[in-house]
Amino acid sequence: MALLRRAIALSVCFTCPGCAGWQSALDPHGQQARGLEGLIWTFIWVAAAVWISVMAVLAIALSRKSGRGAGNERRMRVTVGGAVAGTAAIVLALTIISFLSTRLVSSEASHPLEIRVRGYQWWWEVTYLDARAERVFTTANEIHIPVNRPVRLQLSAADVIHSFWAPNLAGKQDLIPGRENTLTFSAQQPGTYRAQCAEFCGVQHAHMALLVVAETPDAFEHWRQSQLSPAASPTDPEQAEGRKVFTSKPCASCHTIQGTSASASIGPDLTHLASRSYIAAGLLQNTRGSLAAWIADPQTIKPGNNMPNVPLTANELRAVSAYLAALK
Amino acid sequence: MTTKLSSAPLAVKSLLMCMLLMSSLCGCEREKRQYRTDPPVAAALDEVAPMPNGIAGAPPDAYVAAGEPYKSNAYDLSQGKQLYSEFNCSGCHAEGGGASGPAFLNGWWRYGPQAVSVFVSIRDGRPRGMPAFRSRLTTEQIWQLAGYVQTIGAYSAKTSAPGRNDAMQSRPSENRSPAKSSYASDQWPYSAAQ
Amino acid sequence: MQRSRALDWLITPGIWLIFSAPTGAHDPASSQEISPTRYSELTQINRDNVSRLKPVVSFRTGTRGAQGGAPLVVGSTLYFLTSFPHILFALDLNRPGAPVRWQFTPEHDPLAAGLACCNRVEHGPVSGAGHINFTTLDGRVIAVDPDTGQVAWNVRVADIHNGETLVSPPTVAGNELLVGNAGDDFGARGWIAALDAHTGRQIWRHYSTGPDQDVGVTGGQDRGSKTWPGESWLHGGGSVAAPILLDPELGLLLHSTGPPAPWNPEPRPGDNAWTSGIFAREPQTGAVRWFTALHPHNSYAWAAGTADISVDRPWNGNNRQLLLHADSDGRIYVLDRASGELLAADALLSKSTVSTPKTDLQVRNICPAWVGAIGGNPALAGPTGLLYVPMSRLCMDIEARNASYLQGTPYIGANVRVHGAPGQPRGAVVAWDLERRVAAWKIDERFPVASDVLATSGGLVFYGTLDGVVKAVDATSGKVLWHWQTNAGISGQPMTFAGPDGRQYIAVIAGLGGPYGVASEYWIDRRDATAVRGLAQSVADLPAPRDPSGTLYVFDIE
Repeated sequence: MALLRRAIALSVCFTCPGCAGWQSALDPHGQQARGLEGLIWTFIWVAAAVWISVMAVLAIALSRKSGRGAGNERRMRVTVGGAVAGTAAIVLALTIISFLSTRLVSSEASHPLEIRVRGYQWWWEVTYLDARAERVFTTANEIHIPVNRPVRLQLSAADVIHSFWAPNLAGKQDLIPGRENTLTFSAQQPGTYRAQCAEFCGVQHAHMALLVVAETPDAFEHWRQSQLSPAASPTDPEQAEGRKVFTSKPCASCHTIQGTSASASIGPDLTHLASRSYIAAGLLQNTRGSLAAWIADPQTIKPGNNMPNVPLTANELRAVSAYLAALK
Repeated sequence: MTTKLSSAPLAVKSLLMCMLLMSSLCGCEREKRQYRTDPPVAAALDEVAPMPNGIAGAPPDAYVAAGEPYKSNAYDLSQGKQLYSEFNCSGCHAEGGGASGPAFLNGWWRYGPQAVSVFVSIRDGRPRGMPAFRSRLTTEQIWQLAGYVQTIGAYSAKTSAPGRNDAMQSRPSENRSPAKSSYASDQWPYSAAQ
Repeated sequence: MQRSRALDWLITPGIWLIFSAPTGAHDPASSQEISPTRYSELTQINRDNVSRLKPVVSFRTGTRGAQGGAPLVVGSTLYFLTSFPHILFALDLNRPGAPVRWQFTPEHDPLAAGLACCNRVEHGPVSGAGHINFTTLDGRVIAVDPDTGQVAWNVRVADIHNGETLVSPPTVAGNELLVGNAGDDFGARGWIAALDAHTGRQIWRHYSTGPDQDVGVTGGQDRGSKTWPGESWLHGGGSVAAPILLDPELGLLLHSTGPPAPWNPEPRPGDNAWTSGIFAREPQTGAVRWFTALHPHNSYAWAAGTADISVDRPWNGNNRQLLLHADSDGRIYVLDRASGELLAADALLSKSTVSTPKTDLQVRNICPAWVGAIGGNPALAGPTGLLYVPMSRLCMDIEARNASYLQGTPYIGANVRVHGAPGQPRGAVVAWDLERRVAAWKIDERFPVASDVLATSGGLVFYGTLDGVVKAVDATSGKVLWHWQTNAGISGQPMTFAGPDGRQYIAVIAGLGGPYGVASEYWIDRRDATAVRGLAQSVADLPAPRDPSGTLYVFDIE
């Protein structure tokens, strides 16, 4: 008995921390995620109960002596009938619960914040939509949302099927080329939640993460205003040199920085790169050093991704990383 | 009459089966794709020596030493295809049929069919409208693009070339030797029915 | 006497102002240009004798491509411009066969050849400030002496590295020359500029997108930048490729703006002001008097590529100053020139059918196609009150794609296929009755009609087909009275003039240019349905020209 108690205590210690925190579906912070979490636990408990009872019946059957006589057949019919009826009832109940839960989870909301998320190999393009064209802006790999307001993501993909999954907030929804899917969710507390691609999409599928930052409405508005402004101007000669390097090298033929001549949309929009927490779709922390490392050799850090190794001298690399690190 | 094989001892049969199995496993080996070229090699790939008129010439030593990659590697060809649409090549050359720029589909190369000529055209531009992409693409990307462009008007079918488009399919696929069929007919102009 | 008729026929009374510095012995009063209504008062060639029209001059230029602009006759010299790289020819009309008096070839930048795909291209000489003035594809405006061909001035106004070209002749307005750029398919921002006609110095330049200061709007709200996300208006298109119209009565310049860039509408939500509309500007400063939007957030790349016509006539009982704009969507827009008020927008033939393009999805059967329903400049005949419109009836399947702006490369974002509308011929010439607002007659054509139209007081309407046939039809009934097979397709402006001997002549330049010209070139492979943005397959059955070289024909009654 003491051994059993110790076993239970140990297993609790190991499993419970797995429920909480970073990128966990068992740590919901949004309405949809809560609904899904309830569904997960319901299934777990029901399935556990069924499994335990089936194992108990099996144990009893194995330990009992066999052959009692003619009453066996009738008893067997009752038992089997009961088991089938019980199974059917449980399956029906779980189906109804599942249907009701997912219907609740995917219900539309009125006046949601509309964001278009387009999946590329292996990064996320995020466009905030608005009725007024001047308030439309594009960023990458990071979504900011106000708490307690429904957010509706318009999901599409540029090349292959991806899947958006922010487990703390909602379930998965695929991004399919040629089709527009939607996902509506809302966050109930401010926080930073990691999301990632949940459909195998190529060699760097594992490194295609996204950050969802839920903020108070004021903080969100402040963030949105700063994202609408053109890129920060260089404040010292090194940054000015960096901007010149950026616009004269292949950088400007893949990326956009509003306010400069770089207006391409093959790679992520870098206008406010320094305002993001990670670079390379959640792979590296956003610091000047990691920016420089990434620019110097993206193929070693994320082999196979579509950013080429652009040959730069050490001075050019220093300058361009200074410039980009200042693009708040 | 029994064959020699069926009457061989069990050990020999097992050995042969093992050898057969191992050689078939080699077929699982995927075509190598090189994501990262060493920087000195990448720089050396830029050293083409075109003729004074910019047509044909010697490819870089590094290119020849590497066994002329970019022409038949499926990964490089499909990257080239992606670059073709991303860098607006289709705006002037369509999907190979031409517009303000010449067509590639018919396999008639204004500056010759060699990969070096196509590379120089993309890197340095040409008079009469082809812009230079030297400052817009890295050397490896230009080679990938050149290799792909050659398959648009290829004379022999290449299995590693891209097949049917995910996007609008408007012409014979690159893996079907599209240029060969344009000389099968003596009718001009070609009608849509061909 | 023919000479006095030629005087009546001059563009506006204000043309006298242009010749403030007459040069040499040439008589300014004898300048004969195609009028803004493309209607001529000459009556010597008429319904009764047109069947006897025969060529008296056929001048082979030896250049291929767009030979579009109307010839200009000054005194006894005929001037015309060949396709890029241009040669300006001055032919002597006094001698039989019109031999060359002089020719002038400006230096050109061959890079522009890669930019000339899909715009209507019509470079023609115009007479102003005592010079022969013309624009070139590679972005120059050049003025030469009419007698010797010596360059008076030569300025570059368009940057071809930006994708800008000049495809229309300049418009003369007093002491100014007005030019506007083409290149919205390269993401070039549209602009209109006024140059001093004597020196070529730029007086003002205004843009089609951007803040009010750039556009020339006063007291506005920066719609030119606020109806675009971010700074996408910098490559917003809105070219001023169609001829600019001068209204001397109201003292206004009237011009349309082209479609926004890129063709894919998704990257540019918003109304995309001030593209796809019509501006009225003050000639002296370029300040905007009014703007009427025709296609806000144009999602179909419908260009506004042909000339507008101004006419004063009754409308719903009152006499009004009207502007007639035959638009790429197949409608005839009637506006009030003074206020910009839209009075009517009737479909000339069939209504357009559209569905919104979406990235990575194919949308089929958008009619008319991007190339537009109007194939050339229409003509308005005073006596019949009919507007003669050359038309193209094509539809397109479009797949919008992600577009990246790279300077000097096409900024389109679409794969396009073009085909005829089901059950309909691909071209037509329509006579539109302005009074009753219906088509009075229609001629079906096998191919899209890409030439301009000439109407004459002799009751005739002239136009040319893509397979090189010049036709004269009865202006009232549309019956074909005469036709002539020329050496190459016709995409330019038929013109009529009175020669030094007092006889009336018809001049047509054959030589296919513009998008249909490129579609029929030998370097195009028609197996690709997207070749020449889909047009190559739509005219795949166009027979090869007998001689692709441009040829000037001058016809006379024999």
